[in-house]
Amino acid sequence: MSTIALSGASSARAPFWRRLSSQEMLLAVAIVGLALVVGLVNPRFLSANNLADILLGNAYIAVAAIGMSMVIITGNIDISVGALIGVLATVSGSLAVAGAPIAVTWLAPLVFGMLVMGLQGAIVAYVGIPAIVVTLGMLSILRGGLISVTGGKWITDLPDAFHLADIEIFGFIPMPVAIMVVATILAAVWMRWWPLGRAIYATGGNPEAARLSGVSPRRTLVLVFVLHGFFAGVAALLFATQLRVIQSTTPSGLEFTIITASVVGGVSILGGVGTVVGSTLAAILIAEITSALVFINISPFWTHALQGALILATVIADIERRRRRLAGAIR
Amino acid sequence: MRSYLLTTAAAAALALAMNTGASAAGWDGADDLPTSPLACDASAPAAPAAKPYDGGKAVNAPDKAGKEISVVDVPKLIGIGYFNATSKGIADAAKDLGNVKVKTDGPTEAKIDEQIKFIDNYITSGVDGILFAANDPVAIAPVLKKALSKGIHVVGYDANSTPDAREWFVNQAEFNGIAKAMMDSMAKEAGEDAAFGIVTSTFTTPNQARWIAEMQAYGAKCHPKMKWLETVEAQEDNVLSFNQATTLLNKYGDKIKGLFGMTSVATPAGAEAVTKAGLCGKVAEVGLATPNAMKPYVHSGCVKSVVLWNPIDLGYAAMYVMRAVVDGKLKAGDASVDAGKLGKLNVVNGSEILLGAPYIYSKDNIDKFDF
Repeated sequence: MSTIALSGASSARAPFWRRLSSQEMLLAVAIVGLALVVGLVNPRFLSANNLADILLGNAYIAVAAIGMSMVIITGNIDISVGALIGVLATVSGSLAVAGAPIAVTWLAPLVFGMLVMGLQGAIVAYVGIPAIVVTLGMLSILRGGLISVTGGKWITDLPDAFHLADIEIFGFIPMPVAIMVVATILAAVWMRWWPLGRAIYATGGNPEAARLSGVSPRRTLVLVFVLHGFFAGVAALLFATQLRVIQSTTPSGLEFTIITASVVGGVSILGGVGTVVGSTLAAILIAEITSALVFINISPFWTHALQGALILATVIADIERRRRRLAGAIR
Repeated sequence: MRSYLLTTAAAAALALAMNTGASAAGWDGADDLPTSPLACDASAPAAPAAKPYDGGKAVNAPDKAGKEISVVDVPKLIGIGYFNATSKGIADAAKDLGNVKVKTDGPTEAKIDEQIKFIDNYITSGVDGILFAANDPVAIAPVLKKALSKGIHVVGYDANSTPDAREWFVNQAEFNGIAKAMMDSMAKEAGEDAAFGIVTSTFTTPNQARWIAEMQAYGAKCHPKMKWLETVEAQEDNVLSFNQATTLLNKYGDKIKGLFGMTSVATPAGAEAVTKAGLCGKVAEVGLATPNAMKPYVHSGCVKSVVLWNPIDLGYAAMYVMRAVVDGKLKAGDASVDAGKLGKLNVVNGSEILLGAPYIYSKDNIDKFDF
């Protein structure tokens, strides 16, 4: 019984502060530490403007990583999200140019995202095809479909009111940052204290045990994919409304960055473990690294290498932690 | 956890180790190939025709000099603003010439196999000339050679094929021409002593690397007091381009007076970064871009010059070259060709016609274009 509980439930049951003390605290320390180191080399890095710009320009990654974290916690993965964000941004922008009411242009990517992801979740849950295969197929469909439909033509001439990302709450909090913070907190609270949120961990940690305790892993899975689609829609909206041009191609490697944020954020690639606070902090750290590399004159060739090193380090640490826990449980 | 700290430590160590790397001789993002900067004043001298003619030849083409010909234009794809513009230029030229029947037809997606089918069909149905912008330089060659073998004249524009598969190619811009337009625009807007940064796709992207190398060479010759600060990579990614441009602005503060966008993605994103930072008028954004993406910034006055070529002129020149070939007025070894309202255009690289100096889109003309 103890071996069943160890992967998911045990970590979910640990005191809040202790769970925070692991990956999330490390990330927070890394974020502050890196800022201080780079600030020593070039104090301009620490200017309020620059720090705000780092958050502003990358908030959509963190938002998408919330849904991605949920998916990975259930023991699945989604590699179609980058392409989906490209498609949703195009849908939203096309509606805006066609003169649809702004509310419609903002809601459409959310609804469409939930539909596409819900469909994928249902195929994974009820047909039993592994998520990596389903989402790989969807990746090709979305990417090819987008180029076919748009012919690679960009969307320009967007109405001013469309630009959600330009809104500043109380005149100084940029909308993308506000959405990132609020979405992360709401998702974290829901996953921590709501039964449905907890079911995500149970599904990923041990589906069999979850079923015995009254959770339907299949329904949970579909729900998680639908939520993931919602967050992808929000991310697409921030992505689309930040600039005056929407590229009608899928941003290449975006899914990689999003998955990296989740994994570096402490979400176990084996399922059952992780928090969205971690993934958001990791998204911030990755954005900070990209900016820092410019500030301290490191060749951008290192960006991907560093991202890769971060992933490897986190996954090795995760597996090491599990091994130790497993050893403890057996003993 | 330990590995994590190690990674952070390694990153910090790297930071210190690499900190001195920026003072190399060449600008980051430039290639090492030889450069050929143009003269500083407006007189672009004709490049010496060092290379012999390397184009193909239409076999036993009927002599239609001065007679009406029918020509088909097969661009990469139809229905987008850019090729609508080239198509308009081709039609304008046909009207000015008065003895050409031309139509534009092609795939609705930029797919080489579709394009080959279109060209093949027109060879079968019989035309006197084919204009093309290739989706793939090598894959399109066999069908173009087939056209040549049937006595059909073949002239390319915008995107070349292998030289022997067509007779002439109208080259929209040479690297040193673009470089001159970029540096001159920046010097004019930001000042002869301006410090600037560059946002490019990647350091190894061939076209961008060529442009940057030529910009450096031309800058050293004609704007020696301008100061290059740094080149950053932004792939061809909209938001990353914006973030990288913003980072440069934040890093250099008052020092930076100009930003170059080396791709049609980086330029509007850079303009957005300058706008959002409230630096319009203080930091000049100059770059390669398409007019539609730049209209908001040109209209707001934040961007003054967008460097590209004029696709209407490109199509116009292609049609005139086709007519000149049919009329026997443009032969292997010629140094220039008459292109109607565009004047005389020079032959470069053996079998290419250079459209001329790049076109600068500004407040006064940008609304005439839709691509």
